[in-house]
Amino acid sequence: MLQFFVDVILRTVDLALIAVALSCVYSLIRFPNIALVQYATAGALIALGLQTLGLPLYLAIVLSCVITGLMAVVLSVLIFEKLLDTSPPLAMVGSLAVSMIFTAVFLVTVGPRPKRFDLEIMAPVRWAGVSITPMQLVSVGLTMGAILLFALLLFRTGLGRSMRATSTNRVLAEATGIPTRKVINGVIVLSGILAALGGISISLKGEMGAQLGFDLLLPIFAAAILGGLGNALGAALGAFTIALAETFVTNVNFGWVVSQDFYFLPASFATIVSFGLLVLILLFRPHGLLVSEVKRV
Amino acid sequence: MIKIENIIAGYGDGPNILHGINLQASKGEIVTILGPNGCGKSTLLKCIAGFVKPRGGAVVLNDTDVTPVPANEKVRKHRMGYVPQSDNIFPSLTVAENILMGARFLPQATRAVALKRQFVAYPSLADKATRKASALSGGERQLLSLARALVAEPSVLLLDEPSAGLSPAMVHEVFVAIEEIRNSTGMCIVMVEQNAFEALSVADRAYILALGQVALEGCAADLIADPAMRHLYLGGDPEATTSSA
Repeated sequence: MLQFFVDVILRTVDLALIAVALSCVYSLIRFPNIALVQYATAGALIALGLQTLGLPLYLAIVLSCVITGLMAVVLSVLIFEKLLDTSPPLAMVGSLAVSMIFTAVFLVTVGPRPKRFDLEIMAPVRWAGVSITPMQLVSVGLTMGAILLFALLLFRTGLGRSMRATSTNRVLAEATGIPTRKVINGVIVLSGILAALGGISISLKGEMGAQLGFDLLLPIFAAAILGGLGNALGAALGAFTIALAETFVTNVNFGWVVSQDFYFLPASFATIVSFGLLVLILLFRPHGLLVSEVKRV
Repeated sequence: MIKIENIIAGYGDGPNILHGINLQASKGEIVTILGPNGCGKSTLLKCIAGFVKPRGGAVVLNDTDVTPVPANEKVRKHRMGYVPQSDNIFPSLTVAENILMGARFLPQATRAVALKRQFVAYPSLADKATRKASALSGGERQLLSLARALVAEPSVLLLDEPSAGLSPAMVHEVFVAIEEIRNSTGMCIVMVEQNAFEALSVADRAYILALGQVALEGCAADLIADPAMRHLYLGGDPEATTSSA
């Protein structure tokens, strides 16, 4: 049971930061940027590249986050803002196209084979029947720390209040002297940083490759929508819910159904759960579970 | 003081909505912009406020050309107050927090004094300082939005249809409050209104727009009696709109 809970947390960690980033951007400019999942891949690959160049891993991670954050705002200003001026659906299709370009660039530059950070191999920690590797613990700590810092920024700082005011009513925020354009660009940088951290966090636990972003696309959208698209912290809760459902389906022994001692569904069923939950959410709670929180300044 | 010189404006790639508007409002003056739906009066106010970038012409605020300056900077650096037509409060914040949102760029030490000043001016808001703004009536919300815009003591106040959606009694209360603001502060107030006769009753001067141009301008008292203005509002002979008060 405890291992099940740990597996849920580890899967939540895969989804949470990128879902938070997606929701955060959506809250300000009403634009579900599909390319955000590729920022996660880019963040991981840039960090790997910097580590390969000889930088210590922690420094490679910090620099990679900064580079990805800046890349996010440059792409936003050069491409997405212009598409949004035309129409939000066009911007979403544009972000899908940018996403495909990213995948092609990743395939050309790093190839199709999965990559790993150069990390010391360490034995898993075993306690009370639970097995977890040190890098999984680092990944959990990194994600929880980032979400905690993000929550503090959002609810305990002037910038956070400006972000929430801009998200609630951009015209009124501007009328109160908030430089909403700067706030939006700041949040886009932040979303790039969070996505990069998300990709790095996943890669610390295992591998990274050109398909990393696309593999995450569906569960991340499901998590963000479940949490109330536009509600950044709700997205983290959405990620936990999706992780819980996915882990349940793949970890539970369904032997009793087929009259066998053991029968576990293959891991690919996790995707079906994400799809299924997404359809159910869109049908019955299209604004998510925590929609009221979106309006909180 | 505000001076608008030959403003031309529109949205996106669309056609021009304003075709060379000139307007002036001095210190201690209430100027109202009137006109039928779609004549461009809200667009004109958004150009002055900085929400719409003019395609031509100039916006001069207190002798400074602020044409390309965004709204937030006009509020912070050029002492402009702006009250949008709808959604002009933060419903999830308390009354006091809403007012303080307008004072967030003032020095920390002066904010409490500024808040108190607004509570003295609007005692009905002081009584509900800790209540959520969403619990206020329409008229109280309008007063709150005024208090939020006034808390930083602007020299120019822009109001976009302050009486929109209010009951007749509340409309009167809001216009009394606007007149009181001018009388007590000597502020320059420019307001766009649909409620022409109420607006003219408190305004010093008025501009009446039609099809993105100034059709009539003059002293408010004279315009109330002008049959051409009635034509503009109620429809009729377009020739009537060429006369001037």
